[in-house]
Amino acid sequence: MTSANIEAPAALAGIRVVEFGPYVALPLTGRILGSLGAEVIKVETNKVLDEMSFIPAWSRGAGQPEYQRGKRRITLDVRTEAGRDLMLEMVRISDVFMTNFRRNVLDRWRIDFPEIRKQRPDAIIMWQTGLGGHGPYYTYKSFGILVQHLSGVSLMTGLPDEPPGVVNTSYSDYHTGVFQPAGIIAALMRRNLTGKTATLESSIFKSGVATGGPALLDYQVNGRDPQRRGNRDEWAAPHNVYPCAGEDRYIAIAVSDDEQWVRLRKAMGDPEWAVAAEYETRLGRRRNEDALDAGIAEWSRQHDPQALMEKLQAAGVPAGMVSQGRDLNENAHLKSREFYQDTQYWEAERGVKATEWTEGESVSWSIPAKMSETPIPFGKYSNIGEDNAYVFGQLLGMPDGEIERLEEAGVIY
Amino acid sequence: MPRFDEYTGEHLIPPYRVLDLTDRRAAFCGRLLADYGADVVKVEPPSGDPSRGLGPYPGDVADAERSLDFLFYNTNKRSITLDLETEAGRGVFRRLAADADVIIESYDRHFLGDRGIGYDDLRGDNPGLVMASVTPFGSTGEWADYSGDDLVVMAASGYMQITGEPDEPPVRQGNEHSHYPGAQYAAVGILAALYYRDFADGGVGQHIDVSSQEALITYYTDAHPALLWRKLGQNVTRVGTNSTLVIPLGAYPCKDGWIAAGVITPREWDALAEWIHEVTGNDEVLNEAYRGGNQDRAEHIDIITALFLEFAENFTVQEMFHEGQRRNLVFLPVNEVADLLADPQLAESGFWYDIEHEEGSIGTIKYPLGIFHSEEVSARRRPAPALGADNMAVYQGELGMTADELATLRGDGII
Repeated sequence: MTSANIEAPAALAGIRVVEFGPYVALPLTGRILGSLGAEVIKVETNKVLDEMSFIPAWSRGAGQPEYQRGKRRITLDVRTEAGRDLMLEMVRISDVFMTNFRRNVLDRWRIDFPEIRKQRPDAIIMWQTGLGGHGPYYTYKSFGILVQHLSGVSLMTGLPDEPPGVVNTSYSDYHTGVFQPAGIIAALMRRNLTGKTATLESSIFKSGVATGGPALLDYQVNGRDPQRRGNRDEWAAPHNVYPCAGEDRYIAIAVSDDEQWVRLRKAMGDPEWAVAAEYETRLGRRRNEDALDAGIAEWSRQHDPQALMEKLQAAGVPAGMVSQGRDLNENAHLKSREFYQDTQYWEAERGVKATEWTEGESVSWSIPAKMSETPIPFGKYSNIGEDNAYVFGQLLGMPDGEIERLEEAGVIY
Repeated sequence: MPRFDEYTGEHLIPPYRVLDLTDRRAAFCGRLLADYGADVVKVEPPSGDPSRGLGPYPGDVADAERSLDFLFYNTNKRSITLDLETEAGRGVFRRLAADADVIIESYDRHFLGDRGIGYDDLRGDNPGLVMASVTPFGSTGEWADYSGDDLVVMAASGYMQITGEPDEPPVRQGNEHSHYPGAQYAAVGILAALYYRDFADGGVGQHIDVSSQEALITYYTDAHPALLWRKLGQNVTRVGTNSTLVIPLGAYPCKDGWIAAGVITPREWDALAEWIHEVTGNDEVLNEAYRGGNQDRAEHIDIITALFLEFAENFTVQEMFHEGQRRNLVFLPVNEVADLLADPQLAESGFWYDIEHEEGSIGTIKYPLGIFHSEEVSARRRPAPALGADNMAVYQGELGMTADELATLRGDGII
């Protein structure tokens, strides 16, 4: 059921996408579409590198394969007249144009949406914005990690009276990055069926709020702010993380019914405190949760997190180690699913043309959806500008000499 | 190419028939498809989807038709009841599946197969069937039979490892964040599979296996946990509300709440220092030692944080937000749900959809359906269905059951 039929073409074979913009969400969308078989042409320039090559600072481009695999990567300075013309030529042979540049920037470059439509009347346009392309905040700036505050999630996280609870990542960039391919594929179906095209504007802000959950309704109906419950749950107990042997090691245990509690108790060796009557029912365990959690913690801290997870799961208790990077890298389950795969990368160096960067070894996840018929390849990893000859030569029919001339002129650069 | 005579493109997704057998861990997949136009039919046991038994409820009065949890995850779907634990129920399900474009399910991996209604059983009668399974750890591998809810998936993915304060235990993100990534990837896979089936030469149906653990790992890609281990032998960690490296970066108290601020470039620092000086008159903030970019201020964290807090207490959240942005600084409010519902940006960009509930106690409330703003397409706006609300329409109207047949199945408790 999980081995893709290698004879089958990819699901989106024949679809061509122009990806125009840096950072997280837009490149993630391109990676997903590319993995599904679309030909994604990523337009970049050596003159202004994507800052994600240097975030985190140690990565120097080693993290880029996770965003950029499976694309055709070309260099083009669209601020030049010839560069702009080539961009529009590419739009004419593409089904989808997607960008996260602001409206005033696109206007300045004369690569605005009316112009895209003029060049390719049936193009699907995906315009990714931060806070929105229209409305009172359309000029406002935002970035990744802070949008979890804006979208209301940080005040749902942690405990009451604590500062807003934060996850150390570009929070809803990822929601946006995965909403967008769904919107694009649907828009292509709609185009095929009705002949109508569509411009879709997404926003990182909205993507975060859209996944706020039932708390959004609870406030409207009951006038209640989201309850900050830490790791606990109104409907289950024990439901928390517990310390394990080792530095900063924890396991999550989530017992949702009385049967699971008995299994956990047995796995702990039926300690005297745990067989007490007050723990027999969910309500009783909820009422005595501090003592319950303390009792479990005393036991769990003697155990290795992964061994304990596997022991509890084998006993029918929902449990998960809080995985660290080493665990993920070495995990047998993820290995058997070929989730992480080795990849080369090029070490980013400011002021040096990407094709002259040094090659190194890195690792990337593969798309977390396995399809039984159509391949989702790990994909080729092109360096910035590596596909200039293919795109400008083969697709646009430009003679070799002309490509070289434009490279030297700083247009294809 | 499929024939959708009624479909004129008002909604983004053509009205594909989707049978939704998910619980709340994957229900957002069907919701996303339903919001944008798919005909998603939730197949519930006669006792109702378990999430109908979960609060919150209006006025905290338990009522299977008013679980806000169920209402949120099942907007725009239809509902039929069917007991898959009986052979008669499974027979009806096979008939439904023979005609469906898509089935989404989140049962334990052997549940449907053991009952003779897994993908391999159903595809014979319907080679075009697209079926997606969303499970905590995927359908293959050593951990495939492991069970887990939101907390377990957040832990095993490592997402919790970087959530919370560094000197405290990991904490889960309070919106049950793990319910979304797997559901979103499943929606992408389903749409791609339908595209292949309907618009490629020789396209057929297929099965899609999504692991919520893997999906959530990709939702913190910029921390690169496996890569950091390989390159530097380090594990990613929690940084807490405020960064200790980039200053200021985080959430800071002001008059009536919290402001989120991120100052990274040298130019942004200069603009902020000037503003702080205007407000507090404290010359210390102009100290040359604090100028520069990104991590240059790290050694001065205590004094700079103190300067910032002294400055921030002069403003309300909204004052700081708009004045900060006017000065080209990334200042954002730390919003509560009430703030989101009142936010002018969300209001003006067509994000909230008013949905009217028939039963009196809820009335008309706003749902977040407008993730794509577009002049060409809109989201649908039907409230989540009452239990079995579409039994007649689906079983009689579409499946062609007679009234007697339906009555018998009802009498036997199968529908």
